[in-house]
Amino acid sequence: MTCSCHQAPDGRRGFLAQAAAWILGLFAYGVPLLAGLAAFLNPWRQRGEAAFSVRVTTLAALPVGGPPQRFPIIAERTDAWTRFPAEAVGAVFLRRVGEKDLAVLSSICPHAGCGVSYDARTNGFFCPCHSAHFDIQGKRTDAKSISPRDMDMLGYNLRNGSEVWVRFEKFQTGTPWKVAKS
Amino acid sequence: MNSVLEWIDQRTGIPSAACDWLRRPVAGGPAWRLVWPSTLVFTLLTQAVTGTVLWMYYSPSPQTAWESVYYLQRHVQGGWWLRAIHHYSAQVALVLVGIYLVQMIVRGTYRAPREFLYWAVLLMGLVTLGLNLTGDLLPWDQNSYWATHVRTGFLDLLPGIGGTLWKLAAGGTEFGQLTLTRFLTLHVGVLTPVLLILVLVHAWVARRHGLEDAAADRPGESYWPGQAVRDMAACALVLGAVLLLATCCGLDLGAPANPAEDPGTARPEWSFRGLFQFRELFPSSLEILPIFVLSGLTVLVFFLMPLWGRRPGGRWFNAAFTVVVLGGLALLSWQSYRRDAQDGQYQQKRIAGRELAQRVQELAEAGGGIPPAGALVLVADDPKTQGPRLFEQFCASCHGAGSGEQGAEAASSLAGGQETTAPNLAGFASREWLAGILDPQQVAGPKYFGNTKFKKGPMVQFVQEDAPSVDKAELESLRYAISAEADLPAQRTDDGVAPAARKIAAGRARLAARKAPCTDCHTFHGKGTAQGPDLTGYGSRQWLVEFIGNPAHKRFYGKLNDRMAVYAGSPTDPGSRILSNREIGLLADWLRGDWHDQPGHPAPGND
Repeated sequence: MTCSCHQAPDGRRGFLAQAAAWILGLFAYGVPLLAGLAAFLNPWRQRGEAAFSVRVTTLAALPVGGPPQRFPIIAERTDAWTRFPAEAVGAVFLRRVGEKDLAVLSSICPHAGCGVSYDARTNGFFCPCHSAHFDIQGKRTDAKSISPRDMDMLGYNLRNGSEVWVRFEKFQTGTPWKVAKS
Repeated sequence: MNSVLEWIDQRTGIPSAACDWLRRPVAGGPAWRLVWPSTLVFTLLTQAVTGTVLWMYYSPSPQTAWESVYYLQRHVQGGWWLRAIHHYSAQVALVLVGIYLVQMIVRGTYRAPREFLYWAVLLMGLVTLGLNLTGDLLPWDQNSYWATHVRTGFLDLLPGIGGTLWKLAAGGTEFGQLTLTRFLTLHVGVLTPVLLILVLVHAWVARRHGLEDAAADRPGESYWPGQAVRDMAACALVLGAVLLLATCCGLDLGAPANPAEDPGTARPEWSFRGLFQFRELFPSSLEILPIFVLSGLTVLVFFLMPLWGRRPGGRWFNAAFTVVVLGGLALLSWQSYRRDAQDGQYQQKRIAGRELAQRVQELAEAGGGIPPAGALVLVADDPKTQGPRLFEQFCASCHGAGSGEQGAEAASSLAGGQETTAPNLAGFASREWLAGILDPQQVAGPKYFGNTKFKKGPMVQFVQEDAPSVDKAELESLRYAISAEADLPAQRTDDGVAPAARKIAAGRARLAARKAPCTDCHTFHGKGTAQGPDLTGYGSRQWLVEFIGNPAHKRFYGKLNDRMAVYAGSPTDPGSRILSNREIGLLADWLRGDWHDQPGHPAPGND
């Protein structure tokens, strides 16, 4: 071993010099590092956009007892510093089960966040990413389903008699329970 | 020359150090099995050079990332080749790391004192995988966006810290601008320097201990030129493989990433296919096992291999473990590819994705560029793309649009094989479509009024009872005149020349003079009786937009309207609107076959 760094400092002056070198060095390199780290960790404390209600369609577009229909969620959104005018930010499936009774399902697969599509042949939903099958109510059809939970139901209300407003919300994927993403 | 080198050498020592390095002894003498480190350095330098130029063209934002790659691909000379070389060279590098690692394990050269040699290569493999994953997102096309979405989504599986890690990876609470800048920085600013450092560590340790033990009877021969010529030959072969892949296979750019529309075809790169399939062997509650625990433990075993490599049986265990892992991954990958190949729906979606990618690029070319808001706007405003989607959702439950020229894209899939309950709109207002409605055999059939309340209405009565007695030539001229109102792109040229132009003129004259049976119930440019829909501009864009907006308007069906919704809603109740004016316009354009690259469509910039 040729390195002698670890040898005991030679007397008090040697010790002080070593200690000072360590402290000054850590300070000099540490401060810029911490500044970078702080900005790097910025997303940590950010909270996602909370659930919001949005008008999706009217009852006229939904025949009673008809198959589920996919509607885009049109909303304004901000991506970092860019504010976007209203555009599609997601999609939901609406099914009119009764005169004033709707079933609203998020189109985001609870497994890994892919887009679920409706399959008329099986009268159910299907996620093509990892082959998760759901029935028309969004329940898993397979006992060994890859999805940890059924499709996510969303809240809705009817305004002015015929407008369908959906409470749009995103949830964490891959968990057995619905946990709001924030 | 020599004196200059001498001068530099006296002051820096660099030339003689380089000379020493080239003349270093190669333990055991030059051999082909020692070429792998040089090929790795070669691929790394290839990546650095091609990557730097790619970087000059790349613009990391959701509105410009795909667009800049599109520009590189289509408008920069050799751009597609540069990108393909970068991509395939990365894949080849991964294969080379794999070969080198397997060789180390099989020959036992990872054992003391060369543990760090082995660890450096193992880490190079992991960093190369990381470069693959981060680089995959940058084109911001549908596959890269959705596949990365899934990958980062797996972080949620980690209890407690998953959500935070997700946000750190995405750079915020949603995928977007900051995800791109973060991934780009990781790719070029973090992982690439780390790879470089690993190469240096490897070179350092290799200089100290050699790549292998020297055979006792063969002292080291100089690297230069015996080993150098082998290394360069191997690099040339690697280059050949990369160029062959890049030139023959090329590299596609998918459709631009659309956060609102999962194409359902996202798949990982080949290097992660095995893991992708492996995960499906586990139920969802145990998903953390394949994704993090088992794959993490496997990597750990690879790391620890040198520690027991000198024990009896240790080397055999290591070799067997490697064979099982690589063989298993190969088998799983094959299963996954085979399943996709046999999945008709998946293949259809892939084709649809490629067509959309093609379409967006056509639109960008035709428009002379991409709007500032990005290429997604081109898709959103394209009747050919949006028409079938809107029609399927809002119209197809009653109307068919199959087997016609204009709606041929939609074909029978939209009608879902069910009998439609309202007229089939394929080729609406064309001469052929009007010939059908004027045909006594067809007018009360399912393609026209057969399943509506007009089945026994005045139009059906006229066609079945009176029309046969009308002069054939007269009926034809009326049909041509009304169809000309639509100004359909497909008929536009023909409308202007004889004999069609003559028929149209004759028909118009009859209608204007109220000498035609049509005006008994319809109006035509202000003349006639307003009982059925107005024939002024029949089938034109404006007519269709107004009709879809409000079929119950007195200009159209009025109170006779049969079930059709008022898509523009009531003016007094904005909440009752079903389709926006833009959407209605897209539907009208699609029904009329009026989109870019359709015959008769005006050149871009004129509409």
